[in-house]
Amino acid sequence: MIDSREGYARMRTLQVVVLLIFGVIILRLAYIQLFDSRYEELARGNTLRQVVQYPPRGEIFDRNGEYLAQNRPCYDLMVLYRELPQAGFDTVRLLDMLGISRTKLDRALRNARSNPRIPQIVTNFLSSETKLRLDESNLPGFYTVYRTIRRYPRKIGGNLLGDVGEINDAQLKLSRYAGYRTGDYIGQSGVERSYEEVLRGKKGVKIIERDAHGVVKGSYMDGMFDSLPEPGKYIVTTIDARLQTFAEELMRGKVGAAVAIEPATGEILMMVSSPTFDPDDMVGRDRGNNYMKMLYNKRRPMFNRAVSAKYPPGSTFKLVQGLIGLQEGVLSPSTAYSCHGGFRYGRRIMKCHEHASPLDLRDAVANSCNAYFCHVLRSIVENPKYEDVEHGFDVWKSYVNRLGFGRKLGSDFLDEGAGYVPGSEFYDDAYHGSWNALTVISLSIGQGELGCTPLQMANLAAILANRGYYYIPHIVKRIEGADSIDRRFYERQYTGIDTRHFEPIVEGMWRGVNVAGTSTMARLDGWDVCGKTGTAQNPHGRDHSTFLSFAPKDNPRIAISVYVENGGFGATIALPIASLLEEYYLTDTITRPWLLDRVKQMQIHYPAYAK
Amino acid sequence: MQSRIKEGLFQGVDFLTVLYYLLLVAAGCICITAASYDEESASFFAFSHFYIKQYLWVGAVLIVALIVLLLDVRFYHMWAYPLYIAGIAVMVGVLIAGKEVNGAKSWIELGSFRIQPVEFVKIATALALARVMSNYSFSINRAGDLLRVGFIIGLPMLLTILQNDTGSGVVLGAFLFVLYREGLNKWLCIPILLIAALFIVSFLLTPMTLLILLILICTLSEAMMNGKWRSRIIYLAALALASTLLCALMALIAPNTMNIYRCLLVVTLLSLPLIAIYAYRTRLMNIFLMILLFVGSMAFVPATDYIFQSVLKEHQQKRILSFLGIVNDPRDIDYNVNQSKIAIGSGGFSGKGFLQGTQIKYNFVPEKHTDFIFCTVGEEWGFIGAVFVLGIMCLLLLRLMKMGERQEEPFGRVYCYSVAAILLFHILVNVGMTVGLVPVMGIPLPFMSYGGSSLLAFTILLFIAIRLDASTRQFPSN
Repeated sequence: MIDSREGYARMRTLQVVVLLIFGVIILRLAYIQLFDSRYEELARGNTLRQVVQYPPRGEIFDRNGEYLAQNRPCYDLMVLYRELPQAGFDTVRLLDMLGISRTKLDRALRNARSNPRIPQIVTNFLSSETKLRLDESNLPGFYTVYRTIRRYPRKIGGNLLGDVGEINDAQLKLSRYAGYRTGDYIGQSGVERSYEEVLRGKKGVKIIERDAHGVVKGSYMDGMFDSLPEPGKYIVTTIDARLQTFAEELMRGKVGAAVAIEPATGEILMMVSSPTFDPDDMVGRDRGNNYMKMLYNKRRPMFNRAVSAKYPPGSTFKLVQGLIGLQEGVLSPSTAYSCHGGFRYGRRIMKCHEHASPLDLRDAVANSCNAYFCHVLRSIVENPKYEDVEHGFDVWKSYVNRLGFGRKLGSDFLDEGAGYVPGSEFYDDAYHGSWNALTVISLSIGQGELGCTPLQMANLAAILANRGYYYIPHIVKRIEGADSIDRRFYERQYTGIDTRHFEPIVEGMWRGVNVAGTSTMARLDGWDVCGKTGTAQNPHGRDHSTFLSFAPKDNPRIAISVYVENGGFGATIALPIASLLEEYYLTDTITRPWLLDRVKQMQIHYPAYAK
Repeated sequence: MQSRIKEGLFQGVDFLTVLYYLLLVAAGCICITAASYDEESASFFAFSHFYIKQYLWVGAVLIVALIVLLLDVRFYHMWAYPLYIAGIAVMVGVLIAGKEVNGAKSWIELGSFRIQPVEFVKIATALALARVMSNYSFSINRAGDLLRVGFIIGLPMLLTILQNDTGSGVVLGAFLFVLYREGLNKWLCIPILLIAALFIVSFLLTPMTLLILLILICTLSEAMMNGKWRSRIIYLAALALASTLLCALMALIAPNTMNIYRCLLVVTLLSLPLIAIYAYRTRLMNIFLMILLFVGSMAFVPATDYIFQSVLKEHQQKRILSFLGIVNDPRDIDYNVNQSKIAIGSGGFSGKGFLQGTQIKYNFVPEKHTDFIFCTVGEEWGFIGAVFVLGIMCLLLLRLMKMGERQEEPFGRVYCYSVAAILLFHILVNVGMTVGLVPVMGIPLPFMSYGGSSLLAFTILLFIAIRLDASTRQFPSN
């Protein structure tokens, strides 16, 4: 027996123990229920499943309202690890339904396991039929999400329109893609990339209440917090689908680019970079394989040569020299230089082909006399007005820049290249300050260090067509719901060359086509085509063939530049292509089937891209 | 004593206790309704629902409570031992031929419902304990009496652990609470608690550390009891020296056979007979208890790996490992506790309201109407409701202790304290596990969890105490 005083003390101790135990429990409850807000969120995450509703991507039309890119429905299969039955599920049947490999499923499940609360994609591009079969088998933990992928009814404009793909890890880290999540689609190149913001639309979300087995109990709060997806806005491009199709047909098998611009607006009517690809190849399950195939293709089909390649412009650049010479006053339309098989400087000679001599400016353009433009460049650079060659050269360079070369034009292609025009510093470096006009004389005929994009060359054609100004070339004509496109596309860009100086150059181009010269094959009766061939020497084999043209001479409707790598003389291949395109665009007919055959059948050997 | 019918059935009954009881049962019914209510079911009153069954059980149990109040006090005195023996026999029977539910072979199946005999054995144990401790000559700090008490508590404990029902086994440990009240030397209570704690964390410790801690706990507690510090410290030093010497010697004779841990173990075990002789000669009987405690723990603690692997079921191992933070896999092991914490945490201050608890309604919390019933309280009634329920429980416990204090006979006091102790441990372990304070052990929340057998057992347990108290108050002694 215990005496009662001792017993009383112990009773007190035990009371304290009881109160302490309850105190601890209540403190813990207070912590969980009142101070730690985490649990509330977790509870919401438990019952609520946020199903993303993907918006259809905006469609892309050509200038006449034809579809270039449409959407078709497909389904993604998602898995939520937390909702998977613990007993496991019939993987064989699932794999059979989906038609994917075991390893792919395992990989998805492994990913899902590491974030049990976050839905992970198992596979995408499921057909509606597969989706129905999945719904029937009602696998807990798996659900499908509706989304759309691209289809291209005309199968044109692969590297022009660009491709749409899942956003990658590097892109996710960029601030401009802040709103994106893993699994979202994003324009990876071309128009799709440039106009991503317009095309993407806005994702919606549907909040669904479910139980622990993932069984849907209905929409949360009667859809109060749901949002509908906003479809992406469509865009109308400046592309003429029929011209584009025809151009791609003509460029098939050749490496190069062709760009056509409407001079009065700067709208790009056609832009082909060859080789291109079928845009449908970059959609759906085969995307990965096709992508790798293209990545390893030495001709680089995904490289948009039309805006990014740096080509020597060849003789087409003589037009630039003529314009600068006239503007600088070192040349007049009647200036004549004689040419005896070339331009001699020191012991060297810049060769020229057989033609009448001496020639004035108009005929020099028409006949593409090398010697003439060597003289022109020399007189520009060594103009006594400027203290030294460097200054003369920099004046020349600033004109060239204003004509759109050696800098980005500011088009709506994000991958637009700047090309390259050397400055006097370049030669100061290269020749330790001792150089003169003769050192750089190959620039006069568009050789040497020059690099131009086909877009810049087409833009030069547009400048010539407009007699002195251009509109920044662009691909988008109209965006749904927007009053206008970017302001910069409406502003005339002046080149610093007076309109009157264009007359003799244009006249020379006209003569070259319609009277006598290098471009006579480009003649289209009644359309007053003006053109200039170019033949650019290069280290990769045969000369590059290029042609720059616009038509008609007055009120021109199309300015075009065609560049075919290793195509030989300008008149060999680039000119026929350009001429056929002009004819097709202006008259909607082909009157020279033999020329078409010749273009299509021409085989070009590309040592640089040999496998 | 006269017939209770004549005196009035409710004379002397502590109505406050009954009120607390009824409040808890009502709260339990509401929670079970919320937890098992299925929106999609056609009718509210279909017999298949858990809550309808529970309502019927409550009705039946209240009648049983009346019967308990009706019985004469002497009945409980008289039947304490027979009930205990019968209970033990049933436990053994269950161990041999019981039904296994959730890994614990501790159930009897009678037709459509199942009974867990340990629920009733707790009552019998409490009665038997009360009976033993109310013997006139009983003195808790006498080794013989203490052994008897230890036997009465230890036997059902052992049987429940063998049945794989660790939770109930732990609850039986609650009787320490009673023993303390009855004057058990606190230097025996403290080492028992320490060793229990040691057992829980033993997976974190090396056997060497465990052994040293065990020796220290036992020796120092003994020193606190008997107060002969110098010799105890010499003893500890001798142990250390002897084991080091033995280790060095063995390294010379037979290298790699004895590490320091084994040496210490051997030396300690060899010293035990010497201590026993010392204890006998100095008449310090509590030293025997310490030796017993040490040997018992030695059988337990250094062998914990074995126990851990073979006695604890896999899910229990995982629960303990998860509780100790050794493994953390929310989907797998921690799932129950996490979901339960989420449910309770999401209740906030005032709760989501009756039938509005999404975690409960949509089955995120497992066992939501039985072991995890407190989640419903937490989620639907919020902090306010949880504190209310816990408050009533706490008041009930304090009331029971007060009832115990006012008993004239040790029998009543021991019994009331036993009830308080059992309820306290149930509440601590059950609520503790739902809020993540205690590892998950499958024991019900008294008066609230779904289940007829558990409600019946707790009701009988409580009402016997009320009945004992009533008779005291009926005939106040002078």
